[in-house]
Amino acid sequence: MAILVYVVIGGFLFQVPRLPILNETIRVLHFHVPMWFGMLFLFLASVIHAIKYLSTGKVQNDIMSSQLAVVGVVFGILGMITGMFWATFTWGEPWSSDPKQNASAIGLLIYFAYFILRGSIQDEQQRAKISAVYNVFAFAALIPLLFILPRMTDSLHPGNGGNPGFNAYDLDSNLRKVFYTAVLGWTLLGFWIATIKIRYKLLLEKMDD
Amino acid sequence: MSGIINFSNVMFKQLQWLIIKDLRIDWRTKYPIAGILLYITSLIITSYLAFTGFINPETWNALFWLILLFVSINAVAKSFAQEEDRSSYYFYLIKPSRIIIAKLIYYGIYQLLLIAIALIVFSVFLGFPVKTSGPFFLNLILGSLGLSSAFTMVSSISSKTNNNSVMMAILGFPVIIPILLLAISNSKILVLGGSIADITANLITLLSVNVIIIALSFILFPFTWKS
Repeated sequence: MAILVYVVIGGFLFQVPRLPILNETIRVLHFHVPMWFGMLFLFLASVIHAIKYLSTGKVQNDIMSSQLAVVGVVFGILGMITGMFWATFTWGEPWSSDPKQNASAIGLLIYFAYFILRGSIQDEQQRAKISAVYNVFAFAALIPLLFILPRMTDSLHPGNGGNPGFNAYDLDSNLRKVFYTAVLGWTLLGFWIATIKIRYKLLLEKMDD
Repeated sequence: MSGIINFSNVMFKQLQWLIIKDLRIDWRTKYPIAGILLYITSLIITSYLAFTGFINPETWNALFWLILLFVSINAVAKSFAQEEDRSSYYFYLIKPSRIIIAKLIYYGIYQLLLIAIALIVFSVFLGFPVKTSGPFFLNLILGSLGLSSAFTMVSSISSKTNNNSVMMAILGFPVIIPILLLAISNSKILVLGGSIADITANLITLLSVNVIIIALSFILFPFTWKS
C-alpha cells in the first residue's frame, strides 16, 4: 500500500521541477542542489531499511535498501555532472579540488564499494546481512565526510569561504519557491524510480519462488 | 551484587583469553609478523630512494601517513581472515560483542607497536622534522587507533567475501578517509610547528569519529559474525 501511495504522489509531482525558471547559471540551483538532497534522502532511506533488515530479516527490506542505494548513486552522479558543468563556467574548470567535490567523490566510492560487495557474495542471505552491515557503517562514514570535513576548510561553493550564498542573489524569493519544490520534486522522483525498481525486483523474487 | 561481579569476572577472563589466543597464534606462526616488519622496511626504503634529496616537512608528513595506511591495512587484514579455516567452536560459546572487543584491543595494541617501529625506521631514513612532538604523538595514537578499529570491522566484513584482500582495500579506503584526512591535517599543522591549541577542535572531531566507529562495530559485528 505504502508503495502505491508513493507511486501516485511521485508520479503526480513528476512535472513540478519543470517550472519556468530564471536564466543564467543560477538555474543549476534547481538541478544540482536537489540532486544532493535527493541522494542523501535516498541513502538515509536505504540505511533505515538496512537497519530494518538486520532487526527483522525480511528479504523485502534488503531489496528496498539496495535499490534505494542504486538510485541514490545515480542521483549522486547526476549531481556531480551538473556541478562540474556549472563549475566549468563559473570556476573555470570542471574539477578544482574543492573540498566538497573531493568529499562527494569519495562518498560515491563508498557506495560503489557497497555494490561490489554485494556482487562478491554468492549466498543470498549472507549477502543481505553483510551488505546491510556495510551500508550502516558506510553511512556513518559519509556523514563526517560530507558535513564536517568540508566545513573545516574554505570551499569555492556559494555560501562558503566568504562567497555569497544563493540567498544573496535571491531578491524576490522566487528562487526559493522553485528551489523547495525542486527539492521535493526531485526527491520524490528518486523515490518513485526506486519503488519501480523495488517492485520489479520483488516480482522477480516471486517468479523465482 | 556478587552476581554482577561474577559476570564481569567472566567477561574479563574471556577477553583476556581471546587476546592471549590471538597473541599465541601470532607468536606460533611468526611469519605474518615477520612479513609485516619486512613490508614496513622495504616500503620505507623504497620511499627513501624515491624521495631522497628533495623531501620537505609537508611531504614527509604525507608520506608517513600513507605508509601508516598501507601498514595498517596489511596488518589488520588478517584479523578475521585467520579465523576462517580454524575449527572455532569456542566462538559459539562466547558472545560476539566480546570477540569484537578483544579483537579491537588486540589490533589496537598491535597497530601501535607496528607504528612505533615504522616511525623509528622512517626517522632513521628520512629524518624527524616534527616541531611539536608531544601533540604529534597524541594525534598519531588517536589516528592509528581509528585506522585499526575501522579496518578490524572492515576485515570482519571482507572475510565473508570470496576475494578477501581486494575487498579489504575497496571497502576500507573510502571509509577510512575521514579519519585519515583529519589526522593528516592535524599532523601537518604540528609538523610545521603549530601548538596543540591549533588542533584541539580537530582532535576532538577525530576522537568522536573514532568513538562512532568503535560503537558501530560493537553494534554491527554480531550480525556479520552469526551469518
